[in-house]
Amino acid sequence: MSLTVEGLSWGHPVPGLAWRQLFNALSISCPQGQFLVLIGSNGSGKSTLLNLVAGTLRPTGGQIHLGARPLHRLNDHQRARWIGRVMQNPLEGTCPGLSVAENLRLAERRHRPALSWRGLGGIHPNAADRRRYRDLLGDLGLPLADRLDEPVGQLSGGQRQTLSLVMATLGSPDLLLLDEHTAALDPRAEAIVMALTDRLIRQLGTTALMVTHSLEQALSHGDRLVMLHEGQVIGDWNSAERAALNPAALRELYSTSIVAPASST
Amino acid sequence: MLSLWLGAYDQGLAYAGLALGTYLTLRVLNFPDLTVDGSFALGGGTAAMLISQGVSVPLALGLAILFGCLAGLVTGLIHTRLGVNDLFAGILTTTGLYSITLRLMGRSNIPLPETPRGILNLPDLSVGLDDQWALGLTLAVVGLILLISLLLATDFGLALRALGNNPTMARANGINQRRGLTLGIAAANGLVALAGGLVAIYQGFADVTMGIGSLILGLGMVIIGESVVRPRTLPMALLAVVVGAILFRTMIAIALQLGLEPVDLKLATALLLLIALAFGRLRIPGLSDPGSQQS
Repeated sequence: MSLTVEGLSWGHPVPGLAWRQLFNALSISCPQGQFLVLIGSNGSGKSTLLNLVAGTLRPTGGQIHLGARPLHRLNDHQRARWIGRVMQNPLEGTCPGLSVAENLRLAERRHRPALSWRGLGGIHPNAADRRRYRDLLGDLGLPLADRLDEPVGQLSGGQRQTLSLVMATLGSPDLLLLDEHTAALDPRAEAIVMALTDRLIRQLGTTALMVTHSLEQALSHGDRLVMLHEGQVIGDWNSAERAALNPAALRELYSTSIVAPASST
Repeated sequence: MLSLWLGAYDQGLAYAGLALGTYLTLRVLNFPDLTVDGSFALGGGTAAMLISQGVSVPLALGLAILFGCLAGLVTGLIHTRLGVNDLFAGILTTTGLYSITLRLMGRSNIPLPETPRGILNLPDLSVGLDDQWALGLTLAVVGLILLISLLLATDFGLALRALGNNPTMARANGINQRRGLTLGIAAANGLVALAGGLVAIYQGFADVTMGIGSLILGLGMVIIGESVVRPRTLPMALLAVVVGAILFRTMIAIALQLGLEPVDLKLATALLLLIALAFGRLRIPGLSDPGSQQS
Protein backbone atom coordinates (compact mmCIF):
# COMPACT_ATOMS: atom_id res chain seq x y z
CA MET A 1 0.00 0.00 0.00
CA SER A 2 1.30 3.47 -0.76
CA LEU A 3 2.56 5.75 1.99
CA THR A 4 1.83 9.45 1.63
CA VAL A 5 3.23 12.09 3.94
CA GLU A 6 1.79 15.55 3.31
CA GLY A 7 2.75 18.87 4.88
CA LEU A 8 4.27 17.13 7.91
CA SER A 9 5.39 19.41 10.74
CA TRP A 10 7.08 18.44 13.93
CA GLY A 11 9.33 20.17 16.42
CA HIS A 12 10.60 19.75 19.94
CA PRO A 13 11.82 21.96 22.76
CA VAL A 14 15.59 22.20 23.12
CA PRO A 15 17.46 23.32 26.23
CA GLY A 16 18.93 26.72 25.50
CA LEU A 17 16.79 27.22 22.44
CA ALA A 18 13.09 27.73 22.82
CA TRP A 19 12.03 25.37 20.09
CA ARG A 20 13.55 23.45 17.24
CA GLN A 21 11.29 22.98 14.26
CA LEU A 22 12.65 19.86 12.55
CA PHE A 23 10.02 19.27 9.88
CA ASN A 24 8.27 22.16 8.20
CA ALA A 25 5.62 20.98 5.76
CA LEU A 26 7.61 17.96 4.61
CA SER A 27 5.94 15.96 1.86
CA ILE A 28 7.15 12.64 0.58
CA SER A 29 5.36 9.68 -0.90
CA CYS A 30 6.26 6.08 -1.42
CA PRO A 31 4.21 4.09 -3.96
CA GLN A 32 2.96 0.56 -3.30
CA GLY A 33 5.75 -1.98 -3.23
CA GLN A 34 8.61 0.52 -3.21
CA PHE A 35 11.62 -0.10 -0.97
CA LEU A 36 12.72 3.40 0.00
CA VAL A 37 16.03 3.96 1.76
CA LEU A 38 16.40 7.09 3.88
CA ILE A 39 19.89 8.31 4.62
CA GLY A 40 21.11 11.28 6.57
CA SER A 41 23.36 12.40 9.38
CA ASN A 42 22.42 12.35 13.05
CA GLY A 43 19.72 14.91 13.60
CA SER A 44 18.65 14.96 9.96
CA GLY A 45 15.25 13.66 11.02
CA LYS A 46 15.33 10.24 9.39
CA SER A 47 14.50 8.26 12.53
CA THR A 48 12.06 10.96 13.65
CA LEU A 49 10.21 10.58 10.35
CA LEU A 50 9.97 6.84 10.97
CA ASN A 51 8.67 7.42 14.50
CA LEU A 52 6.07 9.87 13.19
CA VAL A 53 4.87 7.29 10.66
CA ALA A 54 4.83 4.53 13.31
CA GLY A 55 2.96 6.74 15.78
CA THR A 56 5.59 6.80 18.52
CA LEU A 57 5.69 10.56 17.96
CA ARG A 58 2.72 12.78 17.14
CA PRO A 59 3.01 15.32 14.30
CA THR A 60 2.09 18.91 15.09
CA GLY A 61 0.70 19.33 11.61
CA GLY A 62 0.15 17.53 8.34
CA GLN A 63 -1.20 14.14 7.36
CA ILE A 64 0.17 10.63 6.98
CA HIS A 65 -1.84 8.15 4.91
CA LEU A 66 -1.26 4.46 4.31
CA GLY A 67 -3.42 3.81 1.28
CA ALA A 68 -6.62 5.60 2.25
CA ARG A 69 -6.08 5.18 6.01
CA PRO A 70 -5.29 8.35 7.94
CA LEU A 71 -2.48 7.05 10.17
CA HIS A 72 -2.03 10.39 11.94
CA ARG A 73 -5.40 9.93 13.64
CA LEU A 74 -4.49 6.54 15.15
CA ASN A 75 -2.45 5.44 18.18
CA ASP A 76 0.73 3.47 17.62
CA HIS A 77 -0.85 0.17 18.70
CA GLN A 78 -3.69 0.72 16.25
CA ARG A 79 -1.27 1.48 13.42
CA ALA A 80 0.61 -1.70 14.24
CA ARG A 81 -2.19 -3.73 12.63
CA TRP A 82 -0.82 -2.72 9.24
CA ILE A 83 2.77 -1.76 10.02
CA GLY A 84 5.65 -4.13 10.73
CA ARG A 85 8.54 -2.51 12.51
CA VAL A 86 12.12 -3.45 13.30
CA MET A 87 13.80 -1.24 15.88
CA GLN A 88 17.44 -0.24 16.00
CA ASN A 89 18.13 -1.86 19.35
CA PRO A 90 17.76 -5.67 19.24
CA LEU A 91 16.58 -5.52 22.87
CA GLU A 92 13.62 -3.32 21.97
CA GLY A 93 11.96 -5.30 19.22
CA THR A 94 11.39 -8.56 21.07
CA CYS A 95 10.21 -9.71 24.51
CA PRO A 96 13.26 -11.22 26.25
CA GLY A 97 11.22 -13.10 28.83
CA LEU A 98 8.98 -14.83 26.30
CA SER A 99 9.95 -17.74 24.07
CA VAL A 100 10.67 -17.49 20.34
CA ALA A 101 7.30 -19.08 19.57
CA GLU A 102 5.46 -16.71 21.91
CA ASN A 103 7.11 -13.70 20.30
CA LEU A 104 6.13 -14.97 16.86
CA ARG A 105 2.57 -15.53 18.07
CA LEU A 106 2.33 -11.92 19.27
CA ALA A 107 3.48 -10.67 15.88
CA GLU A 108 1.29 -13.08 13.95
CA ARG A 109 -1.96 -11.83 15.43
CA ARG A 110 -0.91 -8.20 15.41
CA HIS A 111 -3.84 -7.19 13.20
CA ARG A 112 -6.44 -8.52 15.66
CA PRO A 113 -6.76 -6.99 19.14
CA ALA A 114 -5.60 -9.58 21.69
CA LEU A 115 -7.08 -7.85 24.73
CA SER A 116 -10.67 -8.72 23.90
CA TRP A 117 -13.00 -11.71 24.29
CA ARG A 118 -11.57 -13.18 21.13
CA GLY A 119 -8.15 -13.17 22.73
CA LEU A 120 -9.43 -15.69 25.28
CA GLY A 121 -10.28 -18.34 22.67
CA GLY A 122 -7.75 -21.10 23.12
CA ILE A 123 -4.20 -21.68 24.27
CA HIS A 124 -1.49 -20.21 22.06
CA PRO A 125 1.09 -20.86 20.75
CA ASN A 126 -0.22 -24.43 20.33
CA ALA A 127 1.24 -27.39 18.42
CA ALA A 128 -0.13 -26.20 15.08
CA ASP A 129 1.32 -22.71 15.64
CA ARG A 130 4.70 -24.23 16.51
CA ARG A 131 4.70 -26.36 13.37
CA ARG A 132 3.89 -23.30 11.27
CA TYR A 133 6.72 -21.29 12.85
CA ARG A 134 9.20 -24.15 12.46
CA ASP A 135 8.33 -24.39 8.77
CA LEU A 136 8.52 -20.64 8.30
CA LEU A 137 11.92 -20.32 9.98
CA GLY A 138 13.14 -23.49 8.29
CA ASP A 139 12.14 -22.17 4.85
CA LEU A 140 14.11 -19.02 5.53
CA GLY A 141 17.07 -21.20 6.46
CA LEU A 142 17.20 -19.89 10.02
CA PRO A 143 18.57 -22.10 12.82
CA LEU A 144 16.00 -20.50 15.13
CA ALA A 145 13.58 -23.16 13.88
CA ASP A 146 14.99 -25.55 16.47
CA ARG A 147 14.90 -23.06 19.34
CA LEU A 148 11.22 -22.18 19.43
CA ASP A 149 10.85 -22.73 23.17
CA GLU A 150 13.94 -20.83 24.26
CA PRO A 151 13.50 -17.43 25.89
CA VAL A 152 14.48 -14.73 23.41
CA GLY A 153 16.70 -13.19 26.08
CA GLN A 154 19.14 -16.07 25.52
CA LEU A 155 19.64 -15.28 21.82
CA SER A 156 22.48 -13.18 20.43
CA GLY A 157 21.86 -9.66 19.14
CA GLY A 158 21.97 -10.85 15.53
CA GLN A 159 19.53 -13.68 16.20
CA ARG A 160 17.18 -11.34 18.03
CA GLN A 161 17.26 -8.90 15.14
CA THR A 162 16.64 -11.73 12.67
CA LEU A 163 13.65 -12.81 14.75
CA SER A 164 12.48 -9.20 14.98
CA LEU A 165 12.61 -8.95 11.18
CA VAL A 166 10.66 -12.18 10.70
CA MET A 167 8.11 -10.93 13.25
CA ALA A 168 7.74 -7.59 11.49
CA THR A 169 6.94 -9.31 8.21
CA LEU A 170 4.48 -11.86 9.69
CA GLY A 171 0.88 -11.39 8.68
CA SER A 172 1.82 -9.49 5.50
CA PRO A 173 1.93 -5.90 6.78
CA ASP A 174 1.09 -3.10 4.33
CA LEU A 175 4.18 -1.19 5.39
CA LEU A 176 7.54 -2.26 6.78
CA LEU A 177 9.61 0.18 8.83
CA LEU A 178 13.30 -0.55 9.40
CA ASP A 179 15.03 1.83 11.79
CA GLU A 180 18.81 1.37 11.37
CA HIS A 181 18.11 -2.24 12.16
CA THR A 182 21.66 -3.42 11.57
CA ALA A 183 23.43 -0.55 13.36
CA ALA A 184 24.04 -2.58 16.53
CA LEU A 185 25.26 -5.72 14.74
CA ASP A 186 28.71 -6.99 13.79
CA PRO A 187 29.48 -7.12 10.01
CA ARG A 188 28.67 -10.81 9.68
CA ALA A 189 25.30 -10.50 11.39
CA GLU A 190 24.66 -7.34 9.39
CA ALA A 191 25.18 -9.20 6.10
CA ILE A 192 22.83 -11.99 7.19
CA VAL A 193 20.12 -9.59 8.32
CA MET A 194 20.37 -7.43 5.19
CA ALA A 195 20.17 -10.48 2.89
CA LEU A 196 17.07 -11.60 4.80
CA THR A 197 15.64 -8.08 4.58
CA ASP A 198 15.96 -8.00 0.79
CA ARG A 199 14.52 -11.47 0.48
CA LEU A 200 11.49 -10.86 2.71
CA ILE A 201 10.65 -7.53 1.07
CA ARG A 202 10.86 -9.07 -2.39
CA GLN A 203 8.79 -12.06 -1.28
CA LEU A 204 6.04 -9.95 0.28
CA GLY A 205 6.07 -7.10 -2.22
CA THR A 206 5.42 -4.78 0.69
CA THR A 207 6.12 -1.07 0.79
CA ALA A 208 9.22 -0.56 2.92
CA LEU A 209 10.99 2.37 4.51
CA MET A 210 14.54 1.78 5.73
CA VAL A 211 16.58 4.29 7.68
CA THR A 212 20.35 3.90 7.62
CA HIS A 213 23.48 5.91 8.16
CA SER A 214 25.58 3.49 6.13
CA LEU A 215 26.29 4.78 2.64
CA GLU A 216 27.27 1.26 1.55
CA GLN A 217 23.82 -0.03 2.48
CA ALA A 218 22.13 2.95 0.84
CA LEU A 219 23.96 2.30 -2.42
CA SER A 220 23.27 -1.42 -2.59
CA HIS A 221 19.74 -1.85 -1.21
CA GLY A 222 16.28 -0.58 -2.10
CA ASP A 223 14.53 0.90 -5.13
CA ARG A 224 14.93 4.54 -4.21
CA LEU A 225 17.33 6.62 -2.14
CA VAL A 226 16.33 9.79 -0.31
CA MET A 227 18.84 11.92 1.55
CA LEU A 228 17.60 14.06 4.42
CA HIS A 229 19.33 17.01 6.03
CA GLU A 230 17.88 19.15 8.83
CA GLY A 231 14.40 17.85 8.09
CA GLN A 232 14.56 18.54 4.37
CA VAL A 233 15.01 16.30 1.35
CA ILE A 234 18.32 17.20 -0.27
CA GLY A 235 18.49 14.29 -2.69
CA ASP A 236 16.02 11.86 -4.23
CA TRP A 237 17.19 9.19 -6.68
CA ASN A 238 15.49 6.10 -8.16
CA SER A 239 17.60 2.99 -8.60
CA ALA A 240 18.65 3.89 -12.18
CA GLU A 241 19.69 7.37 -11.10
CA ARG A 242 21.40 5.96 -8.07
CA ALA A 243 23.40 3.55 -10.23
CA ALA A 244 24.50 6.47 -12.38
CA LEU A 245 25.57 8.46 -9.35
CA ASN A 246 29.22 8.92 -8.75
CA PRO A 247 29.71 7.32 -5.30
CA ALA A 248 32.47 9.79 -4.53
CA ALA A 249 30.16 12.73 -5.24
CA LEU A 250 27.44 11.17 -3.09
CA ARG A 251 29.95 10.54 -0.34
CA GLU A 252 30.95 14.17 -0.63
CA LEU A 253 27.35 15.36 -0.33
CA TYR A 254 26.71 13.02 2.60
CA SER A 255 29.82 14.03 4.49
CA THR A 256 29.09 17.72 3.86
CA SER A 257 25.69 17.17 5.43
CA ILE A 258 27.39 15.48 8.37
CA VAL A 259 29.96 18.22 8.77
CA ALA A 260 27.44 21.04 8.30
CA PRO A 261 26.58 22.10 11.83
CA ALA A 262 23.15 20.97 12.86
CA SER A 263 21.55 23.58 15.09
CA SER A 264 21.34 20.96 17.81
CA THR A 265 21.35 17.21 18.14
CA MET B 1 4.08 -28.34 66.21
CA LEU B 2 1.53 -29.95 63.88
CA SER B 3 -1.07 -27.37 64.81
CA LEU B 4 1.45 -24.64 64.06
CA TRP B 5 2.01 -26.05 60.58
CA LEU B 6 -1.67 -26.55 59.91
CA GLY B 7 -2.47 -23.07 61.18
CA ALA B 8 0.18 -21.62 58.91
CA TYR B 9 -1.14 -23.70 56.02
CA ASP B 10 -4.68 -22.41 56.56
CA GLN B 11 -3.50 -18.83 56.87
CA GLY B 12 -1.16 -19.16 53.92
CA LEU B 13 -4.03 -20.32 51.73
CA ALA B 14 -6.15 -17.42 52.93
CA TYR B 15 -3.31 -15.11 51.89
CA ALA B 16 -2.83 -16.91 48.53
CA GLY B 17 -4.92 -14.30 46.70
CA LEU B 18 -2.59 -11.57 47.97
CA ALA B 19 0.46 -13.48 46.75
CA LEU B 20 -1.13 -14.21 43.36
CA GLY B 21 -2.31 -10.62 42.95
CA THR B 22 1.14 -9.28 43.81
CA TYR B 23 2.68 -11.73 41.35
CA LEU B 24 0.30 -10.59 38.64
CA THR B 25 1.09 -6.90 39.03
CA LEU B 26 4.79 -7.03 39.91
CA ARG B 27 6.02 -9.99 37.92
CA VAL B 28 3.62 -10.24 34.99
CA LEU B 29 2.72 -6.59 34.41
CA ASN B 30 5.86 -5.09 35.94
CA PHE B 31 3.69 -2.59 37.78
CA PRO B 32 4.40 -1.82 41.46
CA ASP B 33 0.81 -1.54 42.65
CA LEU B 34 0.27 0.08 46.05
CA THR B 35 -3.52 -0.20 45.71
CA VAL B 36 -3.04 -3.63 47.28
CA ASP B 37 -2.85 -2.06 50.76
CA GLY B 38 -6.24 -0.47 50.25
CA SER B 39 -7.99 -3.30 48.43
CA PHE B 40 -6.94 -5.90 51.03
CA ALA B 41 -8.70 -3.92 53.77
CA LEU B 42 -11.58 -3.16 51.41
CA GLY B 43 -12.05 -6.89 50.77
CA GLY B 44 -11.83 -7.72 54.46
CA GLY B 45 -14.15 -4.91 55.47
CA THR B 46 -16.74 -5.67 52.79
CA ALA B 47 -16.83 -9.39 53.58
CA ALA B 48 -17.03 -8.86 57.35
CA MET B 49 -19.73 -6.24 57.06
CA LEU B 50 -21.85 -8.40 54.76
CA ILE B 51 -21.36 -11.61 56.78
CA SER B 52 -22.24 -9.83 60.01
CA GLN B 53 -25.44 -8.65 58.28
CA GLY B 54 -26.32 -12.25 57.50
CA VAL B 55 -25.29 -12.34 53.85
CA SER B 56 -24.02 -15.75 52.73
CA VAL B 57 -20.24 -16.20 52.68
CA PRO B 58 -19.82 -16.93 48.95
CA LEU B 59 -21.88 -13.85 48.02
CA ALA B 60 -19.96 -11.70 50.50
CA LEU B 61 -16.63 -12.88 49.07
CA GLY B 62 -17.92 -12.37 45.54
CA LEU B 63 -18.80 -8.78 46.30
CA ALA B 64 -15.44 -8.28 48.00
CA ILE B 65 -13.73 -9.46 44.79
CA LEU B 66 -15.89 -7.11 42.73
CA PHE B 67 -15.05 -4.12 44.93
CA GLY B 68 -11.36 -5.03 44.77
CA CYS B 69 -11.55 -5.11 40.97
CA LEU B 70 -13.17 -1.67 40.98
CA ALA B 71 -10.39 -0.32 43.19
CA GLY B 72 -7.78 -1.71 40.78
CA LEU B 73 -9.71 -0.27 37.86
CA VAL B 74 -9.53 3.18 39.45
CA THR B 75 -5.75 2.92 39.88
CA GLY B 76 -5.37 1.65 36.32
CA LEU B 77 -7.42 4.50 34.92
CA ILE B 78 -5.61 7.13 37.02
CA HIS B 79 -2.28 5.79 35.73
CA THR B 80 -3.13 5.14 32.08
CA ARG B 81 -5.67 7.87 31.34
CA LEU B 82 -4.47 10.71 33.54
CA GLY B 83 -0.79 9.88 33.21
CA VAL B 84 -0.12 9.79 36.96
CA ASN B 85 3.05 7.92 38.01
CA ASP B 86 2.45 4.25 38.90
CA LEU B 87 3.34 4.39 42.61
CA PHE B 88 1.48 7.66 43.10
CA ALA B 89 -1.65 6.36 41.38
CA GLY B 90 -1.73 3.46 43.85
CA ILE B 91 -1.19 5.72 46.86
CA LEU B 92 -4.00 8.02 45.73
CA THR B 93 -6.45 5.13 45.45
CA THR B 94 -5.35 3.60 48.74
CA THR B 95 -5.78 6.90 50.56
CA GLY B 96 -9.27 7.29 49.15
CA LEU B 97 -10.10 3.67 49.90
CA TYR B 98 -9.47 4.15 53.63
CA SER B 99 -12.50 6.42 53.85
CA ILE B 100 -14.57 4.21 51.58
CA THR B 101 -13.78 1.09 53.61
CA LEU B 102 -14.58 2.91 56.85
CA ARG B 103 -17.89 4.11 55.37
CA LEU B 104 -18.73 0.58 54.22
CA MET B 105 -17.90 -0.94 57.60
CA GLY B 106 -19.59 1.82 59.58
CA ARG B 107 -16.95 1.46 62.31
CA SER B 108 -13.29 0.66 62.35
CA ASN B 109 -13.57 -2.95 63.52
CA ILE B 110 -16.14 -5.68 62.84
CA PRO B 111 -15.84 -8.92 64.82
CA LEU B 112 -16.90 -12.22 63.31
CA PRO B 113 -17.48 -14.34 66.40
CA GLU B 114 -18.02 -17.66 64.64
CA THR B 115 -15.09 -19.87 63.68
CA PRO B 116 -14.28 -20.24 59.99
CA ARG B 117 -15.85 -23.67 60.08
CA GLY B 118 -19.01 -22.22 61.56
CA ILE B 119 -19.12 -19.43 59.03
CA LEU B 120 -18.45 -21.66 56.04
CA ASN B 121 -21.01 -24.08 57.47
CA LEU B 122 -19.00 -27.15 56.65
CA PRO B 123 -19.86 -30.37 58.43
CA ASP B 124 -17.48 -31.11 61.30
CA LEU B 125 -15.90 -34.44 60.41
CA SER B 126 -12.50 -33.44 61.63
CA VAL B 127 -10.41 -34.22 64.64
CA GLY B 128 -10.56 -30.71 65.99
CA LEU B 129 -8.36 -28.95 63.48
CA ASP B 130 -9.64 -26.67 60.74
CA ASP B 131 -9.11 -29.26 58.05
CA GLN B 132 -12.47 -28.61 56.44
CA TRP B 133 -11.35 -25.07 55.87
CA ALA B 134 -8.00 -26.37 54.70
CA LEU B 135 -9.57 -28.84 52.28
CA GLY B 136 -12.05 -26.33 50.84
CA LEU B 137 -9.41 -23.66 50.46
CA THR B 138 -6.88 -26.05 48.95
CA LEU B 139 -9.35 -26.99 46.23
CA ALA B 140 -10.30 -23.36 45.66
CA VAL B 141 -6.69 -22.19 45.43
CA VAL B 142 -5.70 -25.03 43.08
CA GLY B 143 -8.70 -24.11 40.92
CA LEU B 144 -7.59 -20.48 40.98
CA ILE B 145 -4.06 -21.40 39.93
CA LEU B 146 -5.38 -23.50 37.05
CA LEU B 147 -7.73 -20.73 35.94
CA ILE B 148 -5.03 -18.05 35.99
CA SER B 149 -2.56 -20.35 34.21
CA LEU B 150 -5.10 -20.99 31.47
CA LEU B 151 -5.92 -17.31 31.11
CA LEU B 152 -2.24 -16.37 30.91
CA ALA B 153 -1.68 -19.00 28.21
CA THR B 154 -4.24 -17.48 25.83
CA ASP B 155 -3.53 -14.65 23.41
CA PHE B 156 -5.02 -12.32 26.00
CA GLY B 157 -2.57 -13.50 28.65
CA LEU B 158 0.31 -13.48 26.21
CA ALA B 159 -0.47 -9.83 25.48
CA LEU B 160 -0.42 -9.01 29.21
CA ARG B 161 2.92 -10.79 29.66
CA ALA B 162 4.36 -8.95 26.66
CA LEU B 163 3.25 -5.62 28.16
CA GLY B 164 5.14 -6.36 31.36
CA ASN B 165 8.16 -7.67 29.48
CA ASN B 166 8.61 -4.97 26.84
CA PRO B 167 5.88 -2.35 26.48
CA THR B 168 7.48 -0.75 23.39
CA MET B 169 7.48 -4.07 21.59
CA ALA B 170 3.95 -4.86 22.79
CA ARG B 171 2.57 -1.61 21.40
CA ALA B 172 4.45 -2.15 18.13
CA ASN B 173 2.60 -5.46 17.93
CA GLY B 174 -0.83 -3.93 18.28
CA ILE B 175 -1.36 -4.37 22.02
CA ASN B 176 -3.33 -1.65 23.77
CA GLN B 177 -1.15 -0.84 26.76
CA ARG B 178 -3.78 1.23 28.58
CA ARG B 179 -6.39 -1.46 28.40
CA GLY B 180 -3.96 -4.23 29.31
CA LEU B 181 -2.61 -2.48 32.40
CA THR B 182 -6.04 -1.41 33.60
CA LEU B 183 -7.58 -4.87 33.25
CA GLY B 184 -4.55 -6.58 34.77
CA ILE B 185 -4.45 -4.31 37.81
CA ALA B 186 -8.20 -4.70 38.30
CA ALA B 187 -7.95 -8.50 38.23
CA ALA B 188 -5.01 -8.50 40.64
CA ASN B 189 -6.86 -6.33 43.15
CA GLY B 190 -9.89 -8.62 42.92
CA LEU B 191 -7.60 -11.46 44.05
CA VAL B 192 -6.19 -9.31 46.85
CA ALA B 193 -9.66 -8.36 48.07
CA LEU B 194 -10.58 -12.05 48.12
CA ALA B 195 -7.57 -12.65 50.34
CA GLY B 196 -8.68 -9.76 52.56
CA GLY B 197 -12.11 -11.36 52.96
CA LEU B 198 -10.70 -14.81 53.72
CA VAL B 199 -8.20 -13.43 56.23
CA ALA B 200 -10.99 -11.52 58.00
CA ILE B 201 -12.99 -14.75 58.26
CA TYR B 202 -9.97 -16.71 59.45
CA GLN B 203 -8.81 -14.27 62.10
CA GLY B 204 -12.39 -13.57 63.20
CA PHE B 205 -12.48 -9.83 62.58
CA ALA B 206 -11.92 -7.14 59.99
CA ASP B 207 -10.14 -3.91 60.78
CA VAL B 208 -9.89 -0.85 58.59
CA THR B 209 -6.11 -0.84 59.08
CA MET B 210 -5.63 -4.51 58.23
CA GLY B 211 -4.25 -3.68 54.78
CA ILE B 212 -1.19 -1.75 55.91
CA GLY B 213 1.95 -3.38 54.55
CA SER B 214 0.05 -5.79 52.30
CA LEU B 215 2.19 -5.08 49.25
CA ILE B 216 5.35 -5.83 51.22
CA LEU B 217 3.73 -8.95 52.63
CA GLY B 218 2.71 -10.10 49.15
CA LEU B 219 6.14 -9.32 47.81
CA GLY B 220 7.74 -11.35 50.60
CA MET B 221 5.53 -14.32 49.72
CA VAL B 222 6.43 -14.05 46.03
CA ILE B 223 10.16 -13.89 46.77
CA ILE B 224 10.15 -16.77 49.22
CA GLY B 225 8.10 -18.93 46.87
CA GLU B 226 10.30 -18.18 43.89
CA SER B 227 13.55 -18.78 45.71
CA VAL B 228 12.38 -22.09 47.20
CA VAL B 229 10.58 -23.57 44.18
CA ARG B 230 12.61 -21.90 41.37
CA PRO B 231 9.81 -22.23 38.83
CA ARG B 232 10.46 -22.54 35.10
CA THR B 233 6.89 -22.53 33.86
CA LEU B 234 4.03 -20.19 34.54
CA PRO B 235 1.75 -22.65 36.39
CA MET B 236 4.72 -23.59 38.56
CA ALA B 237 5.40 -19.91 39.25
CA LEU B 238 1.81 -19.44 40.42
CA LEU B 239 2.06 -22.53 42.61
CA ALA B 240 5.38 -21.21 43.92
CA VAL B 241 3.90 -17.94 45.17
CA VAL B 242 1.16 -19.85 47.01
CA VAL B 243 3.84 -22.06 48.56
CA GLY B 244 5.60 -18.81 49.40
CA ALA B 245 2.47 -17.55 51.17
CA ILE B 246 2.31 -20.71 53.28
CA LEU B 247 6.03 -20.62 54.11
CA PHE B 248 5.81 -16.95 54.98
CA ARG B 249 3.00 -17.58 57.45
CA THR B 250 4.97 -20.50 58.86
CA MET B 251 8.01 -18.31 59.42
CA ILE B 252 5.84 -15.76 61.19
CA ALA B 253 4.24 -18.46 63.33
CA ILE B 254 7.68 -19.76 64.29
CA ALA B 255 8.97 -16.26 65.03
CA LEU B 256 5.96 -15.60 67.26
CA GLN B 257 6.52 -18.88 69.09
CA LEU B 258 10.15 -17.97 69.59
CA GLY B 259 9.02 -14.84 71.40
CA LEU B 260 8.66 -12.15 68.76
CA GLU B 261 6.11 -9.60 69.93
CA PRO B 262 3.16 -9.25 67.52
CA VAL B 263 3.76 -5.48 67.68
CA ASP B 264 7.17 -5.97 66.04
CA LEU B 265 5.83 -8.17 63.25
CA LYS B 266 5.64 -5.48 60.56
CA LEU B 267 9.13 -4.21 61.39
CA ALA B 268 10.52 -7.75 61.14
CA THR B 269 8.74 -8.26 57.80
CA ALA B 270 10.04 -4.98 56.42
CA LEU B 271 13.62 -5.76 57.52
CA LEU B 272 13.46 -9.24 56.00
CA LEU B 273 12.29 -7.81 52.72
CA LEU B 274 14.87 -5.05 52.78
CA ILE B 275 17.58 -7.69 53.05
CA ALA B 276 16.07 -9.59 50.12
CA LEU B 277 15.76 -6.42 48.01
CA ALA B 278 19.24 -5.18 48.80
CA PHE B 279 21.25 -8.38 48.62
CA GLY B 280 19.04 -10.87 46.78
CA ARG B 281 18.74 -11.47 43.06
CA LEU B 282 15.53 -9.53 43.14
CA ARG B 283 14.94 -6.88 40.51
CA ILE B 284 11.65 -5.10 40.56
CA PRO B 285 11.24 -1.84 38.66
CA GLY B 286 10.14 0.99 40.89
CA LEU B 287 11.09 -0.93 44.03
CA SER B 288 14.75 -1.67 43.49
CA ASP B 289 17.42 0.28 41.69
CA PRO B 290 17.35 -0.58 37.98
CA GLY B 291 21.01 0.33 37.56
CA SER B 292 22.42 -3.15 37.36
CA GLN B 293 19.79 -4.99 35.36
CA GLN B 294 20.49 -6.29 31.90
CA SER B 295 17.19 -5.72 30.14
